[in-house]
Amino acid sequence: MTKYVIRRLVQVVPTLWGVFTILFIIAYLMPGDPLRAVLGEQYHRLDPAVVEAAKEEMGLNDPFHVRYAKFLGDLLSFDLGYSYILKQSVADVIGYRLPRTIQLMTGGLLVGVLIGVTAGVIAAERQNTWSDYGLMIGALVGVSIPVFWQGLLAQLFLTQDRYGIAIFPVAGYEGGSIIHMILPSLVLGTSLSATLARVTRSAMLEVRGQDYVRTARAKGLPWHATLIRHQFRNALIPIITIIALDISALFTGSIVTETIFSWPGLGRAVVVAIERRDTPVFMGILVFGALVFIIINLLTDLLYALINPRIRYE
Amino acid sequence: MSIRAAERKVVAIEPLPEKYPSNWMRFWLSFRRSRLAMTGLAIVIVMSTAALLADVIAPFDPVEPHYSDRLVPPGGAYVLGTDELGRDIFSRLLYGARISLVIGLVAQGVSVSIGIVLGLLAGWYGGWVDDLISRLIEVVWSIPGLMFLIVVVTIFEPTPLTIFAALGLIAWPGQARLMRGQVLVVKGMEYVAAAQAMGASTLRILIQHILPNAIAPMIVVATLGVAGAILTESTLSFLGLGVKIPNPSWGTMIDIGRNYTVTAWWYAIFPGLAIMITVLGFNFIGDGLRDALDPTQYD
Repeated sequence: MTKYVIRRLVQVVPTLWGVFTILFIIAYLMPGDPLRAVLGEQYHRLDPAVVEAAKEEMGLNDPFHVRYAKFLGDLLSFDLGYSYILKQSVADVIGYRLPRTIQLMTGGLLVGVLIGVTAGVIAAERQNTWSDYGLMIGALVGVSIPVFWQGLLAQLFLTQDRYGIAIFPVAGYEGGSIIHMILPSLVLGTSLSATLARVTRSAMLEVRGQDYVRTARAKGLPWHATLIRHQFRNALIPIITIIALDISALFTGSIVTETIFSWPGLGRAVVVAIERRDTPVFMGILVFGALVFIIINLLTDLLYALINPRIRYE
Repeated sequence: MSIRAAERKVVAIEPLPEKYPSNWMRFWLSFRRSRLAMTGLAIVIVMSTAALLADVIAPFDPVEPHYSDRLVPPGGAYVLGTDELGRDIFSRLLYGARISLVIGLVAQGVSVSIGIVLGLLAGWYGGWVDDLISRLIEVVWSIPGLMFLIVVVTIFEPTPLTIFAALGLIAWPGQARLMRGQVLVVKGMEYVAAAQAMGASTLRILIQHILPNAIAPMIVVATLGVAGAILTESTLSFLGLGVKIPNPSWGTMIDIGRNYTVTAWWYAIFPGLAIMITVLGFNFIGDGLRDALDPTQYD
């Protein structure tokens, strides 16, 4: 196992390098003068010589390899740079926004797990009945519905009286109150719940045919005891794996959800930063996001290896 | 001698044993039994026909404004109502189907092609080729997809070509990984060894023996991938980064329509329904394919 862990850790280095290089090339190709973004209207009134000097100072005139080396060097010293527009370092932007995104993702995760696992267990218990078919079609609808459209539907029917009832606020954060969290969490968690429902169902069915379940039933345990202690516990591995893999999907989903519900998280910040050509901010968040993805992939692989020893010797 | 000849003749005209259904036939019989899959197929056929015949079916020009008929509710001459410039939403949806379907299919085509080629190479050659491709898979896998797409489309302008390429270039790692795994299994089969022993070239083995036997799960994943690509394209359009052509894509319609949700609910509702139904169609088919192509699936 130790050998496998070390090998897997070493593999992260070229991956990081590859991701950073691709991201750097994207930033390098970014059109639009960032100075224009920083200075706004003032840009046109400035002396071209001053503009040129500022560009020189910001390193925008340096050749490709110099900027590339600086980019990698900054990353190695954990320096994500300063926003062109906000008077903040990118690390501060992330530090402020990340907890809010995590809060939203936690909400989505809760919704996804509660609805998805429950639906999956019920569908497996009632295999080949109408409730099973209904739930599984519902799950397919759940993965087919565009996140942004679902958000609009929620806003149309649950936030105003004209077509629905005004139960929830349309959007906003308000210190992250529960009432503001409900709709975004529901919207974000739908697709996860749909995926989980399907995985839970097939995992439960797979376990149901096992001898130990039959033995447990035969010795007279009530069905709920066998369901939870014998079936569900053994069906957990695929369920947890899917949850781990879907954390990245939740992160992606939060971009759209935050945009619709004006949630002050990382996803919203990325969209705004790209609109304003605030390269350091969106690059910083992209780099950060990629790091999170790499860590999740690493952990998932190690988890697999822990569960399934054959992988270690591949 | 003459008896022998007669025997031979008898053998020759003896009817062949009843033909076993071919693999494709067996697949089709199994696929046809799935009601969901057939529903999905019907949805996709209807949507494709609508897209192909948009010129014929559409009651109005999709871009021509009718200023006296702005935001007319559904019913009457405008089946699904009109938008803020008095354009017929039904006609616009028909033309929008072209964009969604073409982008979904082409982008997924790009992605699957990359996935198949890299998966074949990594699985077949192993060694440093495999190491290199596996690193590449992980690199692309680690880039947050939607963020990457937003940035790329901002840089290169949202032409159809950019969107095909960007969607295709970000979606292949899962498919390459799957293909690689498949190849590793098939590579150990006896018929591959037999083909090698008979001196078949590597290319021939890859195309004639490995590919057909490794492709089944790829077909499923590709079908589901079309659904995913349509969703992603609509998300980009919704964020204002859709294809810039006069005929709007469904996502763009929702993006504009959401400003009118309170005054004209139909504006943002119908394009969303169109996306959902189309995506559902591909997901139904993908599900049916999975069951039909996988003999080990029992639930």
